[in-house]
Formats: sequence, structure tokens, C-alpha cells
Amino acid sequence: MAAHSEALAHGHGVMTQEEYAEQRDLRFLGFLLFLFTDSIFFTSYIFAALYLRSAAPVWPPPGVERPDVNLGALNAIILFGSGVTAHYAMHRLKESRFNGYIWFTIATIILGSLFLLGQGYEYSSLYHHGVTWSGTTFGASFFTLTGLHGFHVFVGVIYLIVTLAQTLAGVYSPSRHFGLTAATLYWHFVDVIWVVLFFLFYIY
Amino acid sequence: MSIDTIAVLRRADAPIHPAPESFVRKYLFSIDHKVIGIQYFIAAGLMVLLSGLFAEAIRIQLTSPHNTFLTPQQFNEAFTFHGTLMVWFGAIPIVTGAFGNCVMPLQIGARDVAFPWLNMVSFWTAPPAMLILLSSLAFGAPDAGWTEYPPVSLQAGVGIVFWTVAIFTIGIGATLTGLNFLTTVVKMRAPGMTFTRMPLFVWATAVTSVLSLVATTALASALGSLFLSHVFNIPFYDPSRGGTVVLFQHMFWFYSHPAVYIMILPVFGIVSEIIPTFARKPIFGYKLIAYSTVSIALLSFMVWAHHMFTSGLGVWVTLPFMILTMLIGVPTGIKIFSWVATLFGANMRLTTPMLFVLGFLSTFTLGGITGIMLAAVPVDWHEHATYFLVAHIHYVLFGGTLMGVFAGIYYWWPKFTGRMMSEKLGKLHFWLTFIFFNTTFLPMHFVGLLGMPRRVAYYDPAYHSINLFISINAFILGAVTLLLLVNMFWSLKKGPAAGPNPWGARTLEWMISSPPPYYNFKEIPEVYSGPYGYGEPLPYSAPYNQVSVTPSY
Amino acid sequence: MAHQVNTIDFRRHLDRSFWTATIIMGVISAILMALILIWPIGDNLATAADSAHLIDPIFKFMIFFAAPIFVFVNGYVIYFARRYKHRPDEPADAVGIPLYGVVPLEIWWTVLPAILMIVLGVWSAIGLFRLYEPKPGALNIESIGHQWSFEFRYPGMKNSFYGDFYLPVNRPVTMNITSADVIHSFWVPQFRVKLDMVPGMVQQLHFTPTEIGTYPLVCTEYCGAGHGDMRTQVHVVSQADYDAWFAQQQAKATATAQGPNLAAGNADKGKSLFEQKCSVCHSIAPFDQKKVGPGLANLFNDPQHPKLVDGSAPTPENVAHILQNGFTGPIGVMPNAQANGLSSGDIADLVAYLKSQSK
Repeated sequence: MAAHSEALAHGHGVMTQEEYAEQRDLRFLGFLLFLFTDSIFFTSYIFAALYLRSAAPVWPPPGVERPDVNLGALNAIILFGSGVTAHYAMHRLKESRFNGYIWFTIATIILGSLFLLGQGYEYSSLYHHGVTWSGTTFGASFFTLTGLHGFHVFVGVIYLIVTLAQTLAGVYSPSRHFGLTAATLYWHFVDVIWVVLFFLFYIY
Repeated sequence: MSIDTIAVLRRADAPIHPAPESFVRKYLFSIDHKVIGIQYFIAAGLMVLLSGLFAEAIRIQLTSPHNTFLTPQQFNEAFTFHGTLMVWFGAIPIVTGAFGNCVMPLQIGARDVAFPWLNMVSFWTAPPAMLILLSSLAFGAPDAGWTEYPPVSLQAGVGIVFWTVAIFTIGIGATLTGLNFLTTVVKMRAPGMTFTRMPLFVWATAVTSVLSLVATTALASALGSLFLSHVFNIPFYDPSRGGTVVLFQHMFWFYSHPAVYIMILPVFGIVSEIIPTFARKPIFGYKLIAYSTVSIALLSFMVWAHHMFTSGLGVWVTLPFMILTMLIGVPTGIKIFSWVATLFGANMRLTTPMLFVLGFLSTFTLGGITGIMLAAVPVDWHEHATYFLVAHIHYVLFGGTLMGVFAGIYYWWPKFTGRMMSEKLGKLHFWLTFIFFNTTFLPMHFVGLLGMPRRVAYYDPAYHSINLFISINAFILGAVTLLLLVNMFWSLKKGPAAGPNPWGARTLEWMISSPPPYYNFKEIPEVYSGPYGYGEPLPYSAPYNQVSVTPSY
Repeated sequence: MAHQVNTIDFRRHLDRSFWTATIIMGVISAILMALILIWPIGDNLATAADSAHLIDPIFKFMIFFAAPIFVFVNGYVIYFARRYKHRPDEPADAVGIPLYGVVPLEIWWTVLPAILMIVLGVWSAIGLFRLYEPKPGALNIESIGHQWSFEFRYPGMKNSFYGDFYLPVNRPVTMNITSADVIHSFWVPQFRVKLDMVPGMVQQLHFTPTEIGTYPLVCTEYCGAGHGDMRTQVHVVSQADYDAWFAQQQAKATATAQGPNLAAGNADKGKSLFEQKCSVCHSIAPFDQKKVGPGLANLFNDPQHPKLVDGSAPTPENVAHILQNGFTGPIGVMPNAQANGLSSGDIADLVAYLKSQSK
């Protein structure tokens, strides 16, 4: 036990496997609760979008063209693809296949960035057609929700880059990688939100 | 072998983290839940006092029907600040950040919360938020009440920006605190402390944390959309571009109704701790109180539109909200009756905390009754947005939350300062508060029913004498609060030493020294039973079963 | 948890003292309940519409049952606090009886309030449906909320008007209410009903006034600086008086359509008008000294503000135009002449006064 106290007294990162397991346990619950609360944030705006839609006599409002389903679907596939690569990255890591983890993570980052570029293109094409953020309630709901989602994707990409750098620096191991678990969970969360938003704006 | 798998932090010989050394780490950016709790108490306490000053300004203006003490603009800012400061910067931080932080980890036998650093960050969202809100007084203040309904709230100019940003900021802290506390209660209870052996304050904190987690982000979306409407002209609430103003009310109240339960459930927990201690018998109906807390929390998400009965929802939307609101009265009533029943057959000591609790039972019951009176929609169409509503709000928030907070302060002050407060001053504070609270707010029911709306700087001269009477009593009530401050300072300078358990209570925080050491428990205790078994041996492992439970003040 | 089972004999505490206290509380409750039953609400606040007759009994029902709850809760708290006080001759560590629960009691105090709620809920629901029901042959009146006055439009009347309005007694009314700017609320306390005036939607309020009299119409939703003064009156009169008023109002509404004669403006009258109607938002001070709207000291001659708020040149005619039509801009909303209750003569007087205050 003296070894423990000494170890702890010298700062974090020097934990026994037991202590690490407990911290990971706590952080896992904490992170899930954070994702839960974030989903409520989206849900509120989705509620607002549905409310505004039901209050409108005609939808989309006059002068507004719905965004192109095909472009949206392509972008969605790119994002879901990044979810697949993120999943395989974690697989590889747990099997101690670090190279596999690194390449899959880089793929995730690239696909995520492509999604953001796709969104940028989508936005500019909508603006070209006169569908603006402040013009109608369609614009208000679409740009606010997809913008919020896009912001989350952006944060996710940064998060992945940082954890990739950390992995390269040797911070994580096959038995200690809560940071990577969290990043992957967050990325899947962002994917799930997009399923809902894609359905809400492109299909429904 | 213990009942559940004892992980490292909860093993009896769990290592103790090193003590903080610098002034900054000890008092400023501390990660110790007790220090953070006191920081919340000081910051939020100041906001409550400031909000009280705004209230007194309102009451000065209302001493005569067309007074010129405040311009209408100033009056509107006054009641906006009064409500905003009390709800988000006063009541919620005190019951969660102050009481939750100080007491809950001790009551579950933990060394700290699950995420101490996050706890510190959560507190530090509050001072910047307070500064942002208060600085709006110089640049353009919000003036549409703590509810800030559009379109009128968007007419105030930059005030709405300060308001939304300030509340969003402190809301981040509130959400993170909820996340922290829930994880703590779920994962870090001492070995043997099953859910049904937890003190009721811990139940209250855990359930409140769920409310904070779910509801606060809904508020963030309402604030965000108001901000966007003003800054970027986004038409959520502009009927000329397809928006609807009632949408804001839905978004706002979906949070704000659970928010009022955030403000009261921890107080229910405080009351449930104080009564057994001073009645020296177990709480009556422990399980019902615990489960009614959960059911109140669940129901609180389903009743938000009872704030919108006059807003144009239509009869079929109104009806379920009315029924659910009436339903929520039942578990609340159960709690009140259980508390009163705990007094039956007691061996009671009427100390200051106990007196505040008894006062709470009286005033909160009345507040709950008027709540039901507002739930019946046909009658609500008369009472809504009048002084009847203002009376209801203050009976549950002052007569409920604040009375409970006072009780909690007097109760736990010896534990965290190591000193007793003056019983004489405390009793005086109680009686004067109880009397002048009722004389201030009871008449408001009548003047509201007779026709006086809320949020008005001018009123029909027929209500002059009632308003003057209310105002005079309000001034006295405000002055009386100073007694608590005097008592606190007196105690810190001259109060007798408290010892570990002056009240003879049985929850874990009383089994360690006053104030507790920074690590709380030298060894993590084991728990064998619930804490309210007065007359039986203490259900903890040694040395936590050796403290005397004889009152010694 | 063996001690959860209730084996202790708490019944010995249900002794004479307990039942005496309980009976006293019962008697006090009964007296209060009887007083509540016979109390005529109309003596305090006139019951002047069918909606009021529907709502008052529900209110009474709630107070009727609130009284015993209040008396018993407070009563038992006081009684137990006195009876069970720790006596100095008892040992310091004396405890109370270990009573964890009494299931039959807990069932009763759950079921009885639930039954009360159900009765209240059903009665209120029935009342609610009745209040939402339009009555056949109702007089359909529009009321539009403005900052800070009520506008009315009656069927058959060419122009709308602001201010006092009249209703014939015993005739069903449907108020179609909405708002031109922010949320207001339409409340006549003597009718006991209110609904919000929401911009972008029309709500319908149905009632039948049953008592002749004059009652206040109060705005009950915060709507800005003038909310405290946003009040007018409803006069419930006989059909004959109503018809007379209607004819008069028709004539008046048409008359305001003519423009003001600025040359005949009286600055003194303008001063008192200013103090009554404008000083809520404006003072005679430099432009930047805003109350709500800008200061008007040098309205006609301010080198820093060479144009009026609507961009026009600072002439008396243009000022009169703003007074007549109001102004909506980034600073806020200024009500028009009708909302402010200004006649053409009033406008001329105000312009004269403002000229006298401008260097």
C-alpha cells in the first residue's frame, strides 16, 4: 500500500491496473452521461424544428427548395463510413495491432473532414438558391441543427487528431485506452445524430 | 468478504491523496468538494442578498400606485434581476453546488466526488457568469422578467445577449455538477451502502442531478435560439417569417419546470435529515419518501405547459398537462404527511434548524395548496400572471427552498466550521422570518385574485393599502435576514467548539471531526444498515461507530 | 431490515390528548369549511359573467378542502412540537418511538388526496370544455393588443378604435384576440377569464356578461415599459344603451381620419399632454438621454441628429406624421395616435410644445 500512496503522490498516470479500472469505470459513466445530455440538446432543437414545421401552412415554405437528397446521401455515407473505420481502429488497438489502429484512425479523420467539406458545399449551394439561415423557419431549423452537428463533427475531428498524436507518443496501451474509447464513442454519437438529422431534413 | 466488489477507492485501506499546499490550491482553485461547496455558498449567498435588494427596490416602488421611485424601465430591470439572480445564481447553486458538494460525499463515506477537477471547473463557471449578467446593467440590461419571452425580450437590445450568455455559462457548471454527483452516488457509496440504506439527502441529490443533466441542456437550446434570434435575426420566434412565439415558451418551460424541482428536492432531502435528528426517531415512510422523490422528478418533465395554460395550446393539449400537474400533488402530499408523522412520538428538541423545518412544513404546504389551485385550468385563467401567482411562487421558493436552506445552514454550520452558532439569534431569526414572511406574502394572494397583475410598476389605486402593507413587511423581512449574517460572523469569532456530533445525529458526516480533515475518512467505512435507527447501535465499521449520539450542544 | 416491520405499540400515543387535539382541529376545520361554503365571492369581486359563475364554485371547492389540510398539518405540527418536547428530566440520549411506517395510514393519505384530485380534475375538465365552447349567436369582436393599449374592431363598424369598449348584457361574446407586436393578455377579473394576445395567432375567448357595470380590462402579460398602465374599461350595459354607444362610436371613428391643424396648436396643452402620455418613454433632454425613446429637447435643431428617427427632415409636419402613425425601428416601437388616444388637436398641441422646447 505504501507503494500505492507513493505512486499516487507523484501524480496521475502511475496507477495500478485495479485503480485504472476503477477510474475508467467512473469516467465511462461520466462520459455516457455527457453524451446523454448532449443528445438532449439536439433533441430540443429537433423538437423546435418539428414544431415550426407543423405550424407552417406549407412545407418547405414558399421559395425554399429542399436540399438535394443525393448529395446528402453521399455525405451521409461518408460519415457512416468514418464510423466503420473508427470501429475497426478500436478493434486493431485491442489486438495490439497499432499500425492498423493508426491507419484506420487516419481514414476516420479524412472521412470526417470530407463530410465537413461536403456540408460546406451543401451550405453554399443552398445560399445560392436563396435558402438562408435567417430567411425562413426552414433555414432556421436546417442551418441551426446541421450547424450544431457540424460543429460537433469538427470537435470530433480535433479530438481524433489529438488522441492519434497521444497514441503515437505512447500514452495508450491495449489495456489502458479510455481516452480512445471516449473519442470513438463520441464519434459514433455524432454518427447517430446524423441519422436522425438526415432523416428529418432530407427524407421526411 | 463484503457485499459488493470493493474497488480500490472504496477499500477500507484506500490510499489518501496528498494534501494541497499552496494558497491557490487550498482556497482558490481547490479540488476539495468541501472548499468548493463553501465557495458556492459564498458566491450564491451574495447573489441571493443582491437579489433581495432588487426585491426591496420593487417593493419601494409599489408603496404607492403611481410611484416615481423607479422608472418603468428600471422597475422592469429590477424584477428581471430579482428572478434571474434568485433562480440561476442563488437557489440552484446553493442547493446543488453548496449543500450537495459539502454534504453528499460525506454522507456516502467517500473521499471526494467522482471528478474533483471537473467540480472545480463547474464552480468557476459561476463568477464569470455573474459578472457578465451584472455588467449588463451598464451596457443595456435585460428587462422582460426571468422568463424573457420573445418578442418583448428581443426589444431590449443587447440586454438579451448578456442574459443568455450568462445563464448558458453557469448552466454548463450546473450540468457538469449533475453529471459529477450522479456518477458519485452511483459508483462511490461506501461498501454496504445499498440504495435503501442511503440517507435521504443523498437520494435527493442523486435525483436532482438527473434533473440537472436532462433539463439544463434543454434550457441551453432555448437560450441559444433566443441569442440567435437577436444576434443573427434567425426567425424562430418571428411570426412574420413563419416562427411562433409559443415555441419559446415550450422550450423554456421544459427546462424551467424541472428547474423548480431542482430547487426544492434537495431541500426535501435537508428536511428529511433534520427531522429524524431532532425528533430522535427514524423518518416515517423512508421508502415512500425516496420513491416519491423519483416519481416527482419523472412527473416534473411532463407538466411544463401548466405555465402556458393561457398561451393558446387548445383544450386537448391543455388537458393532459392539467391532469399530470394535479397528479404531482399526490407524492408531494405523501412527503408532507410523512414528515409530520415523524414528529409523532418524538423526543423533540426545538433547535433553530428544527424550527425552520417546522416553519417550512407550514409555509410549503400552503404553497403546494396554491399550486393545485393553479393547476385547475378554469381557475388558472383567473389567477395566472397575477399576484396570486407571485404569492404561490414565493410560498414555495421562500417558504420552501429558502426556509429549508436556512435550516440546512444552521444544521451543518457546526460540521464545516467546527463552531456552534448562537441559538438565541437563530431563534429570533426564525420567528421574525416566519412572521414577516407570512405578513408579506399572504396578502398577495388576495390582491392578485382581486385583479392586480404581476410585473407592473403601477397599479389600480384600490390596491394601495394592501401594497403598502406588503411593502412595509417586506422591508422588515429583508432586514431580519441580516440576523443570519450577524450570527455567522459571531460564530466564527466567538462560537463555542462544536465537536464531531453536537446534534447527536447518525449519518456519516457526524462520525468524523468538525471540520472534517481534507481526506474526510481515514479509512473508508463499511455500512450495515440505514442511518435512522435511533436507539440502536451505529451501523458502521470502527472507528465510525464510536462517536457519541447524545446531543451535546 | 428487521426493524422495518412495525412491532412497536404506537397506539398508546393515540390517547385522550391526541384525540382532543384532533377534535379541536376538526372543529376549526369544520367552522372554516362552513364559512367558505357560505362566503359570497361576489361581495369581494363581482361575479359578472357566466364564466365567473362556472369558475367560482371550482375555486370554492379547492379552498374548501384546502382549509382542513392546512389546519391539520399546522395543527399536528404545533401539537406534536409541544407534546413531544424533550423534557430536561429525561436522559439526554432519550429517543422517540422507532416507528418506520404504518401501512394503512400511508394508503389512506395517498388514496384520499388522489380521489380529491380526480374529482377536481373531472370538474375542471368539464369546465374547461364549456369555456372553450363558442356560443351560437355570439357577438364576434376583435381585440388587438398593442404596446400599450387595446384596439377593438366591432362587426359592422367601419374603423377600429382604442380604449373603453361596451358590451350588451346577457349577449354571448366571442373575443377574437391577437397582438400587433408582443404578447399581451386580455383579462377582466370580474369575468374570471383571461387569454394571451399572441402575435401571429388568434385566440378565442367566449363568455356572456351577466351584470351591468363597468369593469377593468387589464393587460396581464409583461409587454414592455408601459405594461403597468395598459388598462382600459369594459362597460356592460343594456341593449338600448349599447345600441346608442355603437352609433356614437361609428361616427367618432370616422372623424379621426382628418389631419391636424398645426397652426392652431397650443404649447401649454401640449405640455400637459406630453407629461401624461409621452413622459413614460421620452424626456425633454438631449437625444442620448434615453428613457425608452430618445430625448426630445432639440428635436427640430440637433446638429448631431439632423434627421428624425424615420429619416425625414425635422419639420413640424413630419413630426406630426410620426405622432399620427407611430414608428417601429431598431430602438423600439412608438405607438401611433390612436394607440395613444391622441386626436388631431392633441397632435397639434404636442408639436407646438416640442417646438417651444427646441432651441
